[in-house]
Amino acid sequence: MVRKSRFRNFAIGSPMLWIAIFVVVPYIIVVLFSFLTRDPEGIVRWEFTLANYREIISPVFLRVCKNSFILALGTTAITLLTAYPFAYILTRIDENIRRFLLLLMIIPFWTSSLIRTYALIILLKANGILNTLLLSLGLIDEPLSILYTETAVFIGLVYTLLPFMILPLYASLQKLDRSFIEAARDLGATSRHVFFHIVLPLTLPGIIAGSTMVFLPALGLFYIPDLLGGARSMLIGNFIKNQFLTTGHWPLGSAACVILTLLMFMLLLWYFISTRKAHSGGMETVR
Amino acid sequence: MKRTLVLFVMLFLPLGAQASEEVYVFNWSQYIDPAVLELFEKETGIKVKYSTFESNEALFAKLKILKKDGYDVAFPSTYFVERMRRLGMLKPLDHNKLPNMKNLNPDLLNKPYDPDNAYSIPYMWGSSAIGVNAKAVDPASITSWNDLWNPAYKGKVLLMDDVRDVFAMSLRSLGYSGNDTNHEHLKEAYEKLLKLKPSVKVFNSDSPKQPFLNNEVVIGQIWGGEVYQANEENPNIMYIYPKEGATFWVDNMVIPASTRNIDYAHAFIDFMCRPDVAKMNCEYVGYATANVEAQKMLDEKTRNHKAVYPDKVDIDRGEFQADVGETIIIYEKYWEMLKTQ
Repeated sequence: MVRKSRFRNFAIGSPMLWIAIFVVVPYIIVVLFSFLTRDPEGIVRWEFTLANYREIISPVFLRVCKNSFILALGTTAITLLTAYPFAYILTRIDENIRRFLLLLMIIPFWTSSLIRTYALIILLKANGILNTLLLSLGLIDEPLSILYTETAVFIGLVYTLLPFMILPLYASLQKLDRSFIEAARDLGATSRHVFFHIVLPLTLPGIIAGSTMVFLPALGLFYIPDLLGGARSMLIGNFIKNQFLTTGHWPLGSAACVILTLLMFMLLLWYFISTRKAHSGGMETVR
Repeated sequence: MKRTLVLFVMLFLPLGAQASEEVYVFNWSQYIDPAVLELFEKETGIKVKYSTFESNEALFAKLKILKKDGYDVAFPSTYFVERMRRLGMLKPLDHNKLPNMKNLNPDLLNKPYDPDNAYSIPYMWGSSAIGVNAKAVDPASITSWNDLWNPAYKGKVLLMDDVRDVFAMSLRSLGYSGNDTNHEHLKEAYEKLLKLKPSVKVFNSDSPKQPFLNNEVVIGQIWGGEVYQANEENPNIMYIYPKEGATFWVDNMVIPASTRNIDYAHAFIDFMCRPDVAKMNCEYVGYATANVEAQKMLDEKTRNHKAVYPDKVDIDRGEFQADVGETIIIYEKYWEMLKTQ
C-alpha cells in the first residue's frame, strides 16, 4: 500500500516539479521583468514601472498584432474548410484505407516542422520542383512567383497545422450517431437541412477544439512567415524576439509576452465556455 | 520529500568548483576546428572546456550574469567588444604573452572599436556588400548602394533581415556613417528605405545566398563568405564593393573579467594566432582569417577570392560595425515601422 502511494506521488510529483521549475518559475520572471526598468548597462534595473505597458500600446504594436491575427484567422478558416470534408470522408470509408490515411497524416510529424518548411522552399522556389514540372508540361511560360508571397505563407501554415484540425473533427464526426441522420431523412429533411441542423451542431465541439488548436499556434509561429513570406512584415513573435535579441529591452519583450499570454488565455476561456454551451445546445437541437 | 530536496540541491551544486588545469572557452557554434582543441590539449596539457553561443546578445547576457569563475576566452563581434570594454566586462591583454600577434593582418588591428587592441584580438572577419546575379544584372553597371533603388530591380531585391545591416546600407548611401546615432539622419535613412521596401522580395540574414541561387532575387545585400560558397554552385553570383563602402565585421578573442586563469587564457589566444592553427580553423570554418601568415598558406583560389579577402582600398573605404549604444532603440523603432508599413 505504502509502495503504491509512493509511486503515485512520484508519478504525479515529478512532472509537477518539472513544470514548476521550467514553466512556472520562468513565467513568473517574465511577469516580474515586465514591470521593471530597462538597464542599458546590463539587463534590468529593480525599479517598478508601468512604462513598458504604456510603451507597448502603440500603433506599431497594434499593427503587429493585427498582422498576426489576420494570418492566424485566415489559416484557421482555410484549415477548417479543407479539414471538414476530409474528416467526414474518413468516417465513411473502409477501415483499412482510413487507417492508412491517418498514418499518412501522422508521418510528417516524425520530421521537425522547420525542416519541412525548408523542404517547402525547394518545392515552391522559382527554379523549384513545382515550377520545373509546370514548365516542362508547357502549362506555364515563365516560373510562377509563389515563394515569398502571402500564398506561400498560407501554404506553409495550413500544411503544418492541418492535422490539428482534422483529428478533433474526425473524433467528433466519428461519435456522431447515424440514427439521427436517418431519422431526419425519414422525416423528409434535405441534405442541406441534415448538415446545418444536425451534423454541424453535433460536431461543434470538434470545430471549436480544432480551431483553437490551429489558431493559437498560428499566432506564435513566426518562422514559417519569415522563411516562406520573405520576412517582409512583422509578427508578434518577431517583435518579442527583437526586444530580447536586438535592443536588449527585456522588460518590453516581457510585457509583449504577458499581453500575448492574456490574449491566448481569453481565447481558451472562450473555448471552455463555448464547448460547454455547444454540448448542451447540441443536445437540445437534436431533441 | 526531504530526500527529493537533497537531490534537487545536488543537481544545482556548482560543477566546476575544483581548480585544475582547465581553460574555459566560449565561442560561436561551428566556429573552430575540433582538431585544434585536441592539439592544444596535447601540447600544453591544459584541458579545454568548450561551450558555444548563437548570438552576441546571448554571450553578453551570460557574461553579465557570471561575476566570477566564468569563461577564460570568449569571441564577441566588434561592436560588442566596444560595449563590454566600456562596461568593464573585459580584462586588458598582456601583449608580451601573445608573441604570435605578429602574424595578424595589420589592416585589422588598432580599429576604433578597440584602439591598440588593448582588449581584443581579431579572429575571423568579413564584409557585407552588394551581390548580383550576372545573368540578370550587368555587374559593371553596379557601383553604389543607390543602385538597389533602381526601379528596374523592383521585386528582385534582397535585404538582410537585420536592423543594423539594413540601416548601415541606407545611411551610407546618404553619405552618413553606418554607425550614425543622429536621430535626424536615422529618420532620413528610414524614409529612404520606405521607398526601397516595395522593391524588396525577401529579408534574409540566415543564408542570403539561397534566394540568389533560387533565382528569386537578382541584386541585394550579401556576405562575402556566402558569395564564395555560392560560387561553387553558380559562378554568376558576383560580389561588388560599393563606392560608399561595405560594412565590415570582425569576431574577436577577448578575456572576460570573470576569467578563472588569465595565463591559460593568454596561452589559448596565442595558440589560436599560430599560422598553422589559424589555417586549420579557417579551412574548417570557411571565413576569412585575420592571420596573414595563415592566409599565405591557403590555396591560390581561396586567398585571391575578392569576396573573402578584399583589396586594401575596399577595406579602407569600408566601415567596421560599432556600438550605437542606446540609439539601438531608435533603430528598432524605425525597423518596426518599416516592417509594418
